[in-house]
Amino acid sequence: MSLTGYKRADGRWGFRNHVLILPLHQMLSAAARDVEKDSKGAVAVSHDWSQVVEKDHQRIIHSLAGNATNPNIYATIFLRLGTPAEDEVINLAKSYGKTKLIEVSLSEAKSIDRLRQMAIDRANTLLTEAKSEQRVAAPFSAMVLGLECGGSDAYSGITANPALGVASDELVAQGGTSILGETMEILGAEHLLAKRAITAAVGQQIIDVVARYEASINYEGIDIRGAQPSRGNIEGGLSTLEEKSLGAAKKAGNAQFTGVLEYAIAPSKAGLYFMDTPGHDIEQLTGFGAANVNITVFTTGRGTPTGSAVMPTIKVATNTEMATAIPDIIDLNSGTIADGTQTLEENGELIYKLIMDVANGQLTKAELGGHHEFNLSRLYGSTL
Amino acid sequence: MSITGFSHKGRGVGVRDHQLILPSVVCSTHVSRKIANEVGAITFAHQNGCGIIGIDVPGVDNFFIDLANHPNVQSVLVVSLGCETIQGPELLPKINRELSRLLVIQESGGASGTYESGVTQAKQLRDNFKSEKARLDKLIVGLDLSRDTPNLSALKTGLTAAGFEVVVESEHAVSEHNLSKLMSAKAQVVISFPDENQPPTGFPLIPVINIASTSPLHMALASEFDLAQGSSVEEIIELINKVANGQKTRSEVSGIGEIVAPRSVRSV
Repeated sequence: MSLTGYKRADGRWGFRNHVLILPLHQMLSAAARDVEKDSKGAVAVSHDWSQVVEKDHQRIIHSLAGNATNPNIYATIFLRLGTPAEDEVINLAKSYGKTKLIEVSLSEAKSIDRLRQMAIDRANTLLTEAKSEQRVAAPFSAMVLGLECGGSDAYSGITANPALGVASDELVAQGGTSILGETMEILGAEHLLAKRAITAAVGQQIIDVVARYEASINYEGIDIRGAQPSRGNIEGGLSTLEEKSLGAAKKAGNAQFTGVLEYAIAPSKAGLYFMDTPGHDIEQLTGFGAANVNITVFTTGRGTPTGSAVMPTIKVATNTEMATAIPDIIDLNSGTIADGTQTLEENGELIYKLIMDVANGQLTKAELGGHHEFNLSRLYGSTL
Repeated sequence: MSITGFSHKGRGVGVRDHQLILPSVVCSTHVSRKIANEVGAITFAHQNGCGIIGIDVPGVDNFFIDLANHPNVQSVLVVSLGCETIQGPELLPKINRELSRLLVIQESGGASGTYESGVTQAKQLRDNFKSEKARLDKLIVGLDLSRDTPNLSALKTGLTAAGFEVVVESEHAVSEHNLSKLMSAKAQVVISFPDENQPPTGFPLIPVINIASTSPLHMALASEFDLAQGSSVEEIIELINKVANGQKTRSEVSGIGEIVAPRSVRSV
């Protein structure tokens, strides 16, 4: 098994070479989608931010700047109005690395039509440039992997999640980086993860982040242990949040936790991390995309088609029935573990190999389907 | 001046004849967009339907119901994933049953099966149930007051005298939140006064007439506004009548504006 990627000028490694169209105002989202459609391969995201300074301002600008500079991006074209609020995002993005950042301004274009045309022309030029970049041999330690689950069922904790844990452990052992997210989904299992922290301080951070999370939900007058597992999870056979969490945490294997990350903040070293993200699938993907994650492996029991504009998203099914019913969504089936036709280790090895194949250019089902879901996560002042 | 619109069973007479592809959850927004692009319908990207809690659950549910029941809507195709909080099958009975259908991705062979079935069903809804022209007796005009407008009382008086019902939203400095509320109030044409530092906006189901200020941003984007600052009440009323009778606004031509559901609680 070998790995090839794009070595960026700032030392990071990319495994795609995208040109991203990033609108800096919700009103420019439609134009961004048009540029994606009419250019020769640019990717775009849509969102609902209007540049008004709100309680979640820092969270939002980190999400935007981080995704703009994901190492899988060759260049990002910001669609902007020409207001000072946008400079904050662009300057933060500049501080993150050496991703090529281009601005196309509506105030200069004077009309949406002209803005679209200017962005399409720039995108096509950048896409041609990007094609001339060559992949080179990359060490396994170059990889930053995201671990996610969504639409969990009773099989999640015994098939796909522990199999992904095998792959994650292997990557961390090779010097790579792996990030577990979804704070809700470790609630009830945090004491077990804290014991695996590299230092007592990191262990305490894991405990603190979960307590902060539960408090932020209680702040809304809601008992999270009553609201979760979700209806879909219960229909999938899960009984309690603790059961869901014990299963969800298995995605992170048995490696030591190197550190805890705030939402949408990139790790500074290699190793296994926990990031404080919502369980909401797309808010989590957006947080990972902002944190240098190259590829996310997304285990699912019920089956969900979503993906990211900046990261390949590999869908791993927890059960054979669903994998068979919706094959255009699923990249790999871990239901074979419950079927008794594969061991956990064998299936985990297949996930590891698929991660490397996808890194080397094999397209995921979500990429083939053109999935570019993207959401700005907000806390609405519920943090303590 | 009389207004001729479209008779939409169960939804009233609308000034537009839009088909709505309504994703009940973020996970079905992409396939909804593909279906909408193929058949020329309206849809929107959003992050709701799953992982939401508290008052946002009924809030988003009611917002989806208001969208589906808006008089400018000819028919609705709800696209659900199957395992979300706001379940598509439960949303369907709450919306107008005339020309409303449901597709569930997890039960339709995945994304490609849903896309094919969705295109077929949307075309059937559109082609087999063509809307008849009908006279609209009372047009509801929404006012988005994201900035102060000096002649507001004269404008309201003029609009009322012209036979319109007027609904006003001024709570937010960004138009999209006011537009969402005006949609729920069944406004069929909106007059928007965007904040000086905000661009003109739009709401895909509703024609929005943007009136500029003299701020540097608005002056630079003059071509994206329908009317300049200082336009008379008569000019505004004349344009409302034209737009209600089918003339497209600038924002309808350029396709700008995201539909934003009201949220106030974090996602889990």
